[in-house]
Amino acid sequence: MILYLLRRLFLLAFVFIALSILAFSLGYLFPGNTLQNFTGMTDISAEMATQLTAEYRLDSGYIQQYIAYLQRIFSGDWGLSFASKQPLLQEIKILLPATLELAAYALLVSFFVGIPLGIIAAIKPEGIVSRIISALAIAGYSIPIFWWALLLIMLFSIGLGWLPTAGRISVLYEIPHVTGFMLADILLANSQHQTEALLNALRHTLLPTIVLATFPTTVMIRFTRDSMLDVWEQSYIKTARAKGLNRAQVLYRHALRNALLPVIRQIGLQFSTLITLAMITEVIFSWPGIGRWLIDSIYQRNYPAIQAGLLVISTLVISVNMLTEILHTLFNPLARKR
Amino acid sequence: MARFRLLPDEQQARSPLLLLWREFARQHSAMSGLVLFILFFLLALLSPLLTPHDPYLQNDALLLIAPSWSEQGLVQYPFGTDDLGRDMFSRMLVGARYTFGIALITVVGALLIGLLLGVLAGMSKGVKSSALNHVLDLALTIPSLLLAIIIVAILGPGLINTLWAIMLALLPQFVHSIRNAIAEQLNQDYVTAYRLDGASNWQVLTRLILPNIWERLTVTATMALSTAILDIAALGFLGLGAQAPTAEWGAIIADSLDLIYVAPAGVALPGLLIFTAVLSVNLVGDGLRNAMKKRREN
Repeated sequence: MILYLLRRLFLLAFVFIALSILAFSLGYLFPGNTLQNFTGMTDISAEMATQLTAEYRLDSGYIQQYIAYLQRIFSGDWGLSFASKQPLLQEIKILLPATLELAAYALLVSFFVGIPLGIIAAIKPEGIVSRIISALAIAGYSIPIFWWALLLIMLFSIGLGWLPTAGRISVLYEIPHVTGFMLADILLANSQHQTEALLNALRHTLLPTIVLATFPTTVMIRFTRDSMLDVWEQSYIKTARAKGLNRAQVLYRHALRNALLPVIRQIGLQFSTLITLAMITEVIFSWPGIGRWLIDSIYQRNYPAIQAGLLVISTLVISVNMLTEILHTLFNPLARKR
Repeated sequence: MARFRLLPDEQQARSPLLLLWREFARQHSAMSGLVLFILFFLLALLSPLLTPHDPYLQNDALLLIAPSWSEQGLVQYPFGTDDLGRDMFSRMLVGARYTFGIALITVVGALLIGLLLGVLAGMSKGVKSSALNHVLDLALTIPSLLLAIIIVAILGPGLINTLWAIMLALLPQFVHSIRNAIAEQLNQDYVTAYRLDGASNWQVLTRLILPNIWERLTVTATMALSTAILDIAALGFLGLGAQAPTAEWGAIIADSLDLIYVAPAGVALPGLLIFTAVLSVNLVGDGLRNAMKKRREN
């Protein structure tokens, strides 16, 4: 296990180095002035340019430049945004929790809806209930997310007027930024309109969460169902049945544990898709997260922001990937052998 | 009493492909998916010949005509016209070429490159194999939309530029599945036997491994195709992919979004088409997977 962890850490280090090299090279690959792309400053006077060039070591070789880049990344100097002239790291710190919040809710929904539905669908694979669940799952799997979001907005926000269309919370409420997670911040804020604010935030969250959860939920349903059907045919299930355990006992004690193991791994594999979908959802619901910021950045040709966004999002995805894989190995001794 | 049989059962005497087809054809959902898939494929090939009007011709006498099923519609314009007087029906037909056709090309491209890299990774051992793997792990962690954003930032927006991004995003899953499939095949006894007969790596690959993995590859390719269609449409919708006059379905939705109250059909129809196209691909993929599973059980 220790050897395994060491190998994983080595791999992690390798991937991070490759990622930082990619992010660094973008400063050269993006159109425009390299110095501007690295600093994020658009009008640089001549003497400032020489000073910055020395500071960023743009006059020396690529390797020195890369090392200087790494030092800047670790010291928290990520450059400025072209659009707002604010330090990028500060902006990301405010935006990232919003994305994480949305993605976390969607993942939770996909667990609590997807896994039970998948289990139900696996109990009688040819039954009518199972067929309906499978049909819903394949429909949810095929729907383009932006169109689905527009349909739900048309129905619930514009047609029925039940839910708001955009933002995280009504502008009436002023919630100080503490953790960045809206619901936690409201609970910490301790204002007199706490309940109203909470309800308002929940109403804002509901539609984006449903939209974003659709894809992971259907993946969970399909995956849990297939995994359960697989496990259900193993010989240890037959043994357990032969020993006289009833269906529920077998399901709980033997089938579920083995069937849900690969599901952990699936989270890691689906996480990068989830982030892609979260970015689209954020654009449609004007959710102030990092995805909408990145897509705005491309419209504004805000290259430093794209560079920083790549670094943050990929780090996030790599970490989640690694974490789920390590968890999977921890729970499943069979996977350690490889 | 055991009976001696010179010839095997009629069932087993059939070729594996025929058995697969029989199992596939037994599933109604898979067959309807296949019909839709062929329809979309033909549409992507032949749409310029089928359009009743020029999809890019702007006609200011016929702005925003309602679809022909409403009272105000014209029968010549089955889906109405958009705010520039372009025939929606023709645009939908041509859109199949962009959204579905380009997605198909992307997947075929990714499949071929993936096959090359996957074979290299699967047949080689040691450093070369693991280095390739780690580079792919990196590519796997960059979300496809982010990859597209970076490529668009470097090369500028456009359908062809995003095609590279999607191809790059699809590549890792192809390489992984091909590599795993090859590793599985290499452990089989018949491969060892063939090697003992003096077969070279190339012979093992072309005579044994490729014929045995192509069905699995098809399933991976259908999954990739559904992702590719969704990605192309999403990028078109965000304005990063196909640019404004192009009749790509996602771009049409983005175009008609400001008129969603006046002409909801402009948003509803292309979305429905994307949904149907992806659904048909997924139905075929699922049907194929089920058929393979059933064939193995029998």
